[in-house]
Amino acid sequence: MPRWRSVWLVARREILERGRSRGFILSVTFTTLIVVGSFIVPALLFGEDKATKVGIVEPAPAALSTAIESTAERFDQKVAISTYPDAAAADAALAEGAVDVVVTMPADLSGPGEVRFDKQTDPGTAQVVSAAMIGLRVGAVLGASDVDQGALAGAQQPPAVGAREPQTEDDQAKFLVANIGAVLILVGIFSFGFTVLTGVVEEKQSRVVEVVLATVRARDLLMGKVLGIGVLGLVQLIVFVVAALVAALVTNRLTLPTTTPGAVALLTVWFVLGYLLYSTALGFLGALASRMEEASNASTPVTMVAMISYFVAIFAVIDDPSGTVATIATFLPPSAPFVVPLRAAFDAIPAWQIGLSALITIAGIWVLFAIGARVYAGAVLQVGGRMKLRDAWRSAGE
Amino acid sequence: MLEIIDLAKRYGPVVALDGTSFTAHPGRIVGFLGPNGAGKTTTMRCIFGLARPDRGEVRWKGTVIERDARLRFGYMPEQRGLYPRMRVAEQLSYFAQQHGLSGKAANAAAMRWLERMGLADRAKSKLEELSHGNQQRVQLATALVHDPELLVLDEPFSGLDPIGIATMTEVIRERSAAGVGVVFSSHQLDLVEDVCEDVVIIARGQVVASGAIEDLKEASGRQHLEVEIVGSDGAWLDGQTDLTVLEHSGDRIKLLVDRSVDLDALLARARAAGEVRMFAYQPPKLSELFMEAVAPDEPTAEVA
Repeated sequence: MPRWRSVWLVARREILERGRSRGFILSVTFTTLIVVGSFIVPALLFGEDKATKVGIVEPAPAALSTAIESTAERFDQKVAISTYPDAAAADAALAEGAVDVVVTMPADLSGPGEVRFDKQTDPGTAQVVSAAMIGLRVGAVLGASDVDQGALAGAQQPPAVGAREPQTEDDQAKFLVANIGAVLILVGIFSFGFTVLTGVVEEKQSRVVEVVLATVRARDLLMGKVLGIGVLGLVQLIVFVVAALVAALVTNRLTLPTTTPGAVALLTVWFVLGYLLYSTALGFLGALASRMEEASNASTPVTMVAMISYFVAIFAVIDDPSGTVATIATFLPPSAPFVVPLRAAFDAIPAWQIGLSALITIAGIWVLFAIGARVYAGAVLQVGGRMKLRDAWRSAGE
Repeated sequence: MLEIIDLAKRYGPVVALDGTSFTAHPGRIVGFLGPNGAGKTTTMRCIFGLARPDRGEVRWKGTVIERDARLRFGYMPEQRGLYPRMRVAEQLSYFAQQHGLSGKAANAAAMRWLERMGLADRAKSKLEELSHGNQQRVQLATALVHDPELLVLDEPFSGLDPIGIATMTEVIRERSAAGVGVVFSSHQLDLVEDVCEDVVIIARGQVVASGAIEDLKEASGRQHLEVEIVGSDGAWLDGQTDLTVLEHSGDRIKLLVDRSVDLDALLARARAAGEVRMFAYQPPKLSELFMEAVAPDEPTAEVA
């Protein structure tokens, strides 16, 4: 019997047994609901840019509300003004969220007044309201003199504020997609890599592995298991991405960047590579354990490497997408699956680097698999306690 | 023909096999006996490539066993195990396909064996929903579902109720009659005596006795003699050096005699002692052969 058939039978068994399980169906349904929900709920709640609610404590200068409104307009903000008979009533409104900010100012402009927020000062609003209040008092002082009122109004025009290279919505969306991608890869590696781990331990614990290995080669069993569970991971990823894209388009929350199809393809490729790398490692480390509790200990090094790789990727790429750290991390198999999609999102990686990184990662997977298959073969039939990596390697020499 | 040739295997300081050799012929059921830790399971694992011997080899039909040959073997390990949450029929079909059957043939074989085991109505149940005895039946069916040429069963009778034992015995005999090689290990020596034609007895990693049970009994230096003489207290045996009294109850005496004993002379002495009701000369039981074979050559002193 050809080996591929043996591998295929193992993979198919994993797909059918796990794919039909309530756990898998629930997790796919759940993630889809969460994704769709995270797009639809904010769309319902924050349909439009809402006005800042300003509460004015009476007595206040008659021109205050007009001044705030006109200043806000100049700053391109919306305000909704209400008045309260005293400070206590205004504070109560502030506490229950009926207003975002409370403004107190002596009606005769004898003092600078006060701008009060509930918990946190919102600098934008503070700036608008303060400018209006200062304008009122300055206007009153200057109004008494013979200043040109037109020139005065002109002088109060705020300067143009803006970034040198404004981050477009496209950039933001790209970064968001990439960031979600890195998280998805991490979550995918953990959830499906650990499915491989527990699958290996379960087979060992239920002793079925001795029956299986009487006909199936250990490396074929490991490969079939990794591939079968990988197919389920890919299904979950595709469902997730499609749900997110459809929800984004329908709710119009996110203007999808033109690079989306490429980003999704890159994400899928690196999800697959990252999964293969980490699940192979988890699979053969699982074989060293004879009980579930030991398995989580045995897997700690892999978990650590994955977490460190993820954080290095995030920090290095955000710091400088084409910097030395990011470039080195691109060519290390454990970090490549996180770094490459992130750098690509910033358009900060040349195509040759993506290709080379993929080749290095594939080579890494192959080496890990060759080592892993031998350790797996040596360890998976041993019972009683956790086995040492070296003993497993020795006992399976071919 | 299955040939186990000079297998040796160490696990660290523990010697599991130390030059084990024997042969099993299809059509003759072989009982593979030995005390715990003698190396039975390790030998079986070597047949399936699950343990790699440090020395020696295993041949089937004259060639060293490779994977393709193993696909035509059936194995029931001592540590039973199947996928607990997998449906019974799918499970059998899966293993049949792993042995090279097509999907269709595997499904048909799975159903055939489930019917044979009286489990046809449980085909869609998960394994863990079955009783212990029925799980054992599925385990046996797993070893048989692909119609193997060689059947290796490690302790197939352990944990079975009498009905299960009857089914197991029947299947083993039937497969053997069909020309399948059958090797199984067991500690239930009466059962082995009942079922097997040949035995291999292993101790401390080496074969200490092997061959047809009849021949072994015949060749044994220790034969049994049971004599009943009315009113005799056994005094007629005085002076006889080539025998040992095993049991003496009333008129009946059980003796262990050397092969060299002159039975005619002994019978004459018995007759002289009184009315002989019984004078039965019997070969030893397998369990006695076993004890004799596995006894250490030089008894080691045991400190309590």
